[in-house]
Amino acid sequence: MLFFRRYNKQHISTQQSKQNLHQGLISTNLMDNVAEIQSIFSDTPDLVVRNLVIKQTQSQAVLIYFSGIADRKTIFTHVLNPLLFEDRNQNKENELKVSLGHIKETNTWPQIEDAILNGEAVLFIDKCAIAYIYDTANFPKRSIEDTQIESSITGAHVGFTETGSLNVALIRKYIHNRELKIKEFIIGERGKTRISILYLADVANPDVLKELEERIQKIKVDSVINTGVLAEYIEDQPFSPFPQLLLTERPDFAAAEILQGRMAIVADQSPNVIIGPVTFDTFFKSIDDYGSRWMVASFLRLIRYVGFFIAIFLPAVYIAIISFHFEIIPLKLLLSIGASRERIPFPPYIEAFIMELTLEMLREAGIRLPTKIGQTIGIVGGIVIGQAAVDAGIVSNIMVIVVALTAVASFIIPAYQMGSAIRIVRFPMMILASLFGFVGITVGLMILLGHFIALESLGNPYSSPIAPLRIPDWKDVFIRFPHWAMNKRPLSTKALQMIKGNANRPKGDEPG
Amino acid sequence: MNKNSITLMQFIFLIHGVQMGVGVLTLPRELAEKAGTDGWILIIISWFITTIVSLLIVQIMKKHPNGTILDLLTHYFGKWVGRLATIMFALYFALLAHVIFTREALFIQAWILPRTKIYVLLFLLAIPTYQIVRKNIQILGRYSEFVFYLTSWMIFVYVVPLKDAEWLHLLPILKEGWMPILSNVKSSIFSFIGFEIIFFIYPFLEKKEKASLGVVIANTLSLFAFLIFTIGAYAFFSPDEITLFNEPTIEMLKVLELKFIERLEIVFFSLYLFVMSTTVLPLMFMTVFCTSQLVGKQDHSSHLFWYILMGLTYNLFFPPTFDKNVQLQQIIEQAGMILAFAFPIFLSGYVWAHGLFKRRTIK
Repeated sequence: MLFFRRYNKQHISTQQSKQNLHQGLISTNLMDNVAEIQSIFSDTPDLVVRNLVIKQTQSQAVLIYFSGIADRKTIFTHVLNPLLFEDRNQNKENELKVSLGHIKETNTWPQIEDAILNGEAVLFIDKCAIAYIYDTANFPKRSIEDTQIESSITGAHVGFTETGSLNVALIRKYIHNRELKIKEFIIGERGKTRISILYLADVANPDVLKELEERIQKIKVDSVINTGVLAEYIEDQPFSPFPQLLLTERPDFAAAEILQGRMAIVADQSPNVIIGPVTFDTFFKSIDDYGSRWMVASFLRLIRYVGFFIAIFLPAVYIAIISFHFEIIPLKLLLSIGASRERIPFPPYIEAFIMELTLEMLREAGIRLPTKIGQTIGIVGGIVIGQAAVDAGIVSNIMVIVVALTAVASFIIPAYQMGSAIRIVRFPMMILASLFGFVGITVGLMILLGHFIALESLGNPYSSPIAPLRIPDWKDVFIRFPHWAMNKRPLSTKALQMIKGNANRPKGDEPG
Repeated sequence: MNKNSITLMQFIFLIHGVQMGVGVLTLPRELAEKAGTDGWILIIISWFITTIVSLLIVQIMKKHPNGTILDLLTHYFGKWVGRLATIMFALYFALLAHVIFTREALFIQAWILPRTKIYVLLFLLAIPTYQIVRKNIQILGRYSEFVFYLTSWMIFVYVVPLKDAEWLHLLPILKEGWMPILSNVKSSIFSFIGFEIIFFIYPFLEKKEKASLGVVIANTLSLFAFLIFTIGAYAFFSPDEITLFNEPTIEMLKVLELKFIERLEIVFFSLYLFVMSTTVLPLMFMTVFCTSQLVGKQDHSSHLFWYILMGLTYNLFFPPTFDKNVQLQQIIEQAGMILAFAFPIFLSGYVWAHGLFKRRTIK
């Protein structure tokens, strides 16, 4: 750990000293400037250096940009065209006439370097100590598509993309309010990832925001590749199986959470947005819960929580019962289990481990394979391993049922991170159960509980509506109350304004 | 948020959790041995005494609301008495926690895992214990509260076997007069022990004005639990039969049976570990709280580690048995009588007199 930290420090400091070479101001000599640019960007074949004579002033000039990340069409029509062919503007003598909105002037090299790397075009003019920066950036980007992982039935079919500004725009679409503020940071010595915190200024708690800002500013790395990396840098307890920040790819979900008083962190180049501070129940919510009727939504919520426990404890309970407490199951069931386990040469925990590991591998293989081959995995897993293993007498029928139930149960958790957390918690439970039976499971649950109630997300209790008991928040945990009954923001976000609506609704057929 | 504050609910459940633990399993038998089927009256008398003493403690602590009893003693009697009291409390809590922790493992061995070595079980239980106790009082409060909600439904299941109960067993009330009852109050009052943690958790309470209400509720919750368990057991077993069973409370559950699950008492007992843990964890916390205050350290996790390790090593070389455990318990009962009952009464007398004296001198 320490070694890596030290290494990191050295690494960054050497890199900074290299950058110091190109400090200072630009010169008035055009050729010097071009030479300087070429020394900054050596070995960059995509750098375009275009010599031209400006018609308005009849002076020599050079336009510099990266061909891939600057928009060529914009440069031709809005920069080059006016410069080459248009006459001098009569009114303003000093201003060069281009038909582009966003123009900056600068005379320092670091700014110029940044601008070029950002896809902007820089214009140097002979005998002029100022360079013009034209915002022509157009990074290659994906168009907005339906969400891949968090698909929904009633929610919007719009997912975040890899462009930060677009993601911010997608959230803005949901919240037309001047109180939606954005704090921007540039993180990463090389990557220079633009990170924006979106929050409602009159709702979100300033202490939490400050904590979040401080944590983000502390990060000193080469590059933050995606929000998963960022989340790992800013989360409270790295040695926890549970995710303490939510990653979502749904703008509607992110907007809903911002409206609750939480913060969304958008990182450029990442199709996921971090939501924080969260409580555990956020991971069991899906946007469909709010779109469908409340009874259905509540039922599904409860099923998810049941699934959570099944996915963690079912294999452990199976092991405990078969190896320690077979007396607790009724005789008939015991006989049928015994019959199915008759030929199995392994003790139950080996049997369970074989099957659970197989399941996890199948699952991982299914994710990595392209969809066309992916179906093969289903056939291999379902028929060959399930059926054949039972026929061959390696695992029992009951075990296959247990594994199948576990798999299904862990799939119904809406947040992928929580689903995968369950996958790894399951194995220690199985070990405990194989050693101590029910006592082991209870102790495992105790450990889990002890960990769970001490966990925090951005300094806020993670187990919020339950373990500091906050009854008003329960309206949106296990049972989703009708929207008109949820007029307040959750206490767990410590929002400045609690009221978010009123209970006006048509009374319908109700008497009175 | 202040990491060192607990809500009223947490305050209540911390006290109730400490009172409610391993004792309940054997309580009906112990009382029946002493006072026959009138044993439940003992519980009410004990509750009455306990509540009064708890209220006294709250009154004492009000004099010095932002410090624990250790600060209060230092304030009144000087540094060395404070030190001495810290050591006394530390020893007392350490021994009490040790007895109950060991008893927990003994019960597990007796009921669920007869072939597992006791020190292995203790080691297993030590993992969550260490993990939770090394945090702060707030986490402990949350734990006690959560466990209460998690396990309170069990009492309703306990009522189910009572359909076979014979309520006539309870009659006649006071069949041997008041004497056997009054002379045995001591044996039932020990189940209420644990409320002396008020001395330590009072300064952490957010709304201190509700402390009195809190202790009354906590004691009353325990009273109801004890009464249900005891009266239930008396009605279920015959007066002579009940003394034959070591843990009549679990024994009763043996008659429970569902279509898909038999021997429910095993499942129940496993879950009951949670209830027992809410006794042990605060007591251990108090132990290391005292010792770390003695050496003036903020972080108590290293003390906790050594305490648990010492307990484990002791049990490894001197394997505990029920008899030894009961002997140890009797010693600690004596200490508990002094620290939890006699001490607050005398102290409140002193504090009262001190206040009176001071007011006069000012006049």
